[in-house]
Amino acid sequence: MNEIITTFAQALEKADVKPDQVCVPSDILFEPETVKRFGFDYFHTTRGRAIAFGTGLKLANPALKVVPFAGDLMTIGGNHFVHGSRRNMELTVICINNFVYRKIAGKSAPSAAQKFSPYSTFEEPFNIPHLGNSCSAIYTARWTALHTEELAASIAEALGKKGLSVIEILAPGPDYYTGISKVNVDLVRFYYDNSEIRNNEDPKNVGIKPDSRIIVGKFTSKERPTFIDQYNAQLSSVLGEKFIPHGIRSGADPGGKNGGD
Amino acid sequence: MAEIRFAGYGGQGIIRSGIIVGKAASLYDNKYGTMSQSFGPEARGGACSSQLVVSETKVLYPYVTNSDVLVVMSQEGYDKFEPELKENGILLVDENLVKHKPPRGDIRVHLIPATRFAEQLGKKIVANVVMLGFFTAITGIVTYEAMEKALPGSVPEKALDLNIKAFEKGYNFGLELQKKQKDPQ
Amino acid sequence: MKADQRDVLSGVYYIDGDVAAGYGALAAGCKFIAGYPITPSTEAAEAFARIAPKSGALFIQMEDELASVSAIVGGAWAGAKTMTITSGPGYSLMMETVGFGAMLETPFVLLNIQRGGPSTGVPTKTGQADMMQARWGSHGDYGLIAIAPESPQELFDYTIKAFNLAEKYRCPVMIMSDECVGHMTEKVVIPPAEEIEIEPRRWYTGSPDEYVPFKPDKDLVPRMVKAGSGHKLYISGRLHDERGYPVDDEHYKLKYVRRLVDKIKCNKDKIIELKEEQIDDADVIVVSYGISSRVAIRGIEMARERGIKVGSLRLVTVWPFPDERITELAKKVKALVVPEINYGQVVFDVARCCHGNANVVLVPHGGAGVHVPDDICDAIVSVAKEERKIEEVIEFKTKLEISVFGGGLKSKE
Repeated sequence: MNEIITTFAQALEKADVKPDQVCVPSDILFEPETVKRFGFDYFHTTRGRAIAFGTGLKLANPALKVVPFAGDLMTIGGNHFVHGSRRNMELTVICINNFVYRKIAGKSAPSAAQKFSPYSTFEEPFNIPHLGNSCSAIYTARWTALHTEELAASIAEALGKKGLSVIEILAPGPDYYTGISKVNVDLVRFYYDNSEIRNNEDPKNVGIKPDSRIIVGKFTSKERPTFIDQYNAQLSSVLGEKFIPHGIRSGADPGGKNGGD
Repeated sequence: MAEIRFAGYGGQGIIRSGIIVGKAASLYDNKYGTMSQSFGPEARGGACSSQLVVSETKVLYPYVTNSDVLVVMSQEGYDKFEPELKENGILLVDENLVKHKPPRGDIRVHLIPATRFAEQLGKKIVANVVMLGFFTAITGIVTYEAMEKALPGSVPEKALDLNIKAFEKGYNFGLELQKKQKDPQ
Repeated sequence: MKADQRDVLSGVYYIDGDVAAGYGALAAGCKFIAGYPITPSTEAAEAFARIAPKSGALFIQMEDELASVSAIVGGAWAGAKTMTITSGPGYSLMMETVGFGAMLETPFVLLNIQRGGPSTGVPTKTGQADMMQARWGSHGDYGLIAIAPESPQELFDYTIKAFNLAEKYRCPVMIMSDECVGHMTEKVVIPPAEEIEIEPRRWYTGSPDEYVPFKPDKDLVPRMVKAGSGHKLYISGRLHDERGYPVDDEHYKLKYVRRLVDKIKCNKDKIIELKEEQIDDADVIVVSYGISSRVAIRGIEMARERGIKVGSLRLVTVWPFPDERITELAKKVKALVVPEINYGQVVFDVARCCHGNANVVLVPHGGAGVHVPDDICDAIVSVAKEERKIEEVIEFKTKLEISVFGGGLKSKE
């Protein structure tokens, strides 16, 4: 996990985003030292609610850069992802995916991180970029945690975009509790070795399947008005002058940095 | 204290009627008016009723148990709520919509062709406001002045004139009816 | 501090309780409501959604209740006053995040227009059966505040108060109203902005480097900053120390969770609001809240007409519970009568505080309606005649229960 945060910090720098305007709501528990080192605001939320919590942060203060880090994105938080994408809420979603087939490219993947699957997994996984793209997310990409440069570039690019971006990272699960980091390193190395970069590939073709290579890359990037843009446009068309556009009186304004209103 | 029930079907402005009288009583007649609406599966298109309690003091129990006044604009409403009318209760009926049975001997029944009047005015939809005028004249629970103030803002602005005409139509009909009843010949 | 003129729709209205709550939220300075429609609370969300855009506030319909309450906790940390609105099943769905909000000491308001349960129950009719869920609904120990309004006017007034309490004590505040009040239309007076007192957030104004997010002031409540203002926040729903860092041990569990409970408990006297009527000469006291207290006053009038000396103790705030006042009153009177629209929730806290000094009578109501005043009156009259001391809570047989169950249902007397 620390490696991903380090890559994230590089991406912030690359995108010229100051860490103190960045909020990271996450259902993954980061270590305090990591957060303090990079200087963003971190909220460890309930499982699956990183996007929902992040939506609140963004709407209450549109000046914030909100980057949900989600571990339970597709399961308990799936609905928030679907609707966040549809609304085009301005969030850069980093999805840490540790759910992978046992057999890839004809080899067995170590699956020690799958505590609930002592006999390995067999269910069809979500094709996250495809799902995001179908729900109108404006940017989709997938990398393994070891594609550090490509990943940093993707995050930086997504941070500059207005709307919901999703970047899937194939990585071991958070090892905060398990402590079995050796296996995890092997696992991510395994993903990396069996991956193939195919930028601009149609996301419908990038599902992770047994006995085939993992497709990584930057898949889609498009433009679409954000939720707040659409809200302001719709309400001003209906209410005209009576409407106070969102953000004018929000948490961003009075009383300086700490508020004071 | 007066317990009032308006009954009809969805779309007739039954809930609105309760709101207008309640508003007149509590905002302009200096009384307490508590209105509750009957929700439920029956509220959509089917039978619909609103309950209003008007009192000189704060209304403590908000619902109608035995009504003093029943205003009916549908057969179903009539059949369902006529038995809950108190002894000496007042029953106001839109005779174009309701066939009333031989009346109970212990209640006072007043008939008005509200729907026909509304049609004559140009819009059937204001039949409930004709009923409100009639209600105001017959019961005296709210004053004419209070109702006059309560109508603006409670009906679509464009249709305010029509609604005032409808109200007056029902009100005058009620006054004349009372005159006739007091002084037959 | 006074309310902002732009948020206060001063005037005299004839509106229902739900709408009054929506107006109250805006007047209180609420800038963000996230909700998911559910009967019978939808009108409150609608009212806010209608007026908010003209005042720079925002309503969003989220994908579900889990998202709604998570978003308002997030919104509160971004600096806004926030609320969510729900009923019945939606309230159950929100529970996990209520505890999360309490753990993070987040000020937010949750309006619950209670309806008949369990499950889908009776969506369009009333109930008061979520009172214990309000208190204990999320896992773990924490303190919170619950208020029970009895009229549309109070739904306006106490929504403002709920926001003020949330800011003052940095905890979830539940407005535990019900369908009867929510869908009741009455006169509501919205005063001028300068007559509305607003509690500002407890901002920390020192240097960002020295900020310790969960370091409490003397009244046990810590100070807050806005997300994105350079404080390197580390905020977690995990057990944490004052810095917010995860800790596991018994020592911190005791220290931190104890404070979550104590910041409400120790400030109880300032939080609790009671309304007492005709207590001085009373032999019997009716303890009630919300719509039941309104109907109870009529029951009390009727019992007084029958010569019973009976008074009313209305719990405007139900949580925290006024233990001491009830203990004190129990020593002076013969019995306490508790009408509630459930089969016994708050009555057991009343009994707990009586220490056997007075009989405690539950006047139950299964929901989808309110008590008829006669039932409350009858319960008062019968318990006033009771000479025995009865240890258990006595369940009064209402006319409705007798008519439904015949003589078959035995009360515990």
